[in-house]
Amino acid sequence: VSRRKVLPARAALTLTPSAVNRIKQLLQERPESIGLKVGVRTRGCNGLTYTLDYTKQKEQSDEEVLQDGVRVFIEKKAQLTLLGTEMDFVETKLSSEFVFNNPNIKGTCGCGESFNV
Amino acid sequence: GPMVPIRCPPNPPFLTSLAIRYHSISARESGVQVASPSENRVNLSQSCVERLKEIMEKGEYLRIQVEGGGCSGFQYKFSVDKVKNDDDRVFEQNGVGVVVDQDSLEFVKGSTLDYSQELIRSSFQVLKNPQADHGCSCGSSFSIKV
Repeated sequence: VSRRKVLPARAALTLTPSAVNRIKQLLQERPESIGLKVGVRTRGCNGLTYTLDYTKQKEQSDEEVLQDGVRVFIEKKAQLTLLGTEMDFVETKLSSEFVFNNPNIKGTCGCGESFNV
Repeated sequence: GPMVPIRCPPNPPFLTSLAIRYHSISARESGVQVASPSENRVNLSQSCVERLKEIMEKGEYLRIQVEGGGCSGFQYKFSVDKVKNDDDRVFEQNGVGVVVDQDSLEFVKGSTLDYSQELIRSSFQVLKNPQADHGCSCGSSFSIKV
């Protein structure tokens, strides 16, 4: 990685239409929030796990993604990890969840919640 | 000499053999007697009952299965089923039902089935499983206490 001279210009995070709709719906119920914040935490059998929270303000170190009228902020610690990731919202009869299709990950846990890069 | 017929039991499936092994170890080491009926079941949390009322059609059950797999050796699997088999136990509460086959029940009895709602994900989870040791962070995989 250190030998790489130029990082390709990729969107930090892209949202699927399903994710956009879900975030719009969530934010309508929470008018005091300006968007959602994505982060990573050290947890789980494979090292890292995603976190998702409502956010009322943009921190200076956050990267802002504005797509189709919704705002998602990426915590500094998660910016490199998430580069190029697609955020999707998947709903089945038994569960509904935001799924991160991350091209950088090398392995995941069985449930897909924990991963390493 | 005369032929003696020997009756061979069918090969027990993977989980059954493990269940039997776990059971005998646990009984020997802890000296625990037969589990009381209240522990030999799966409890449904309020949020679980409410969610099942919302999503299940008449005659549909939530099936819990325990399978080998996941990062900790065993994992829970949830599905919607309309069929009850001979070895199924049915746990009903407020008009909704959960079915667990007898082999899987050995691994989940005494635990509470919950519907967890978080911003990032909403899903059914097995909580407070007396048989489970430490599990994966997501709670879908676990190892058993021996």
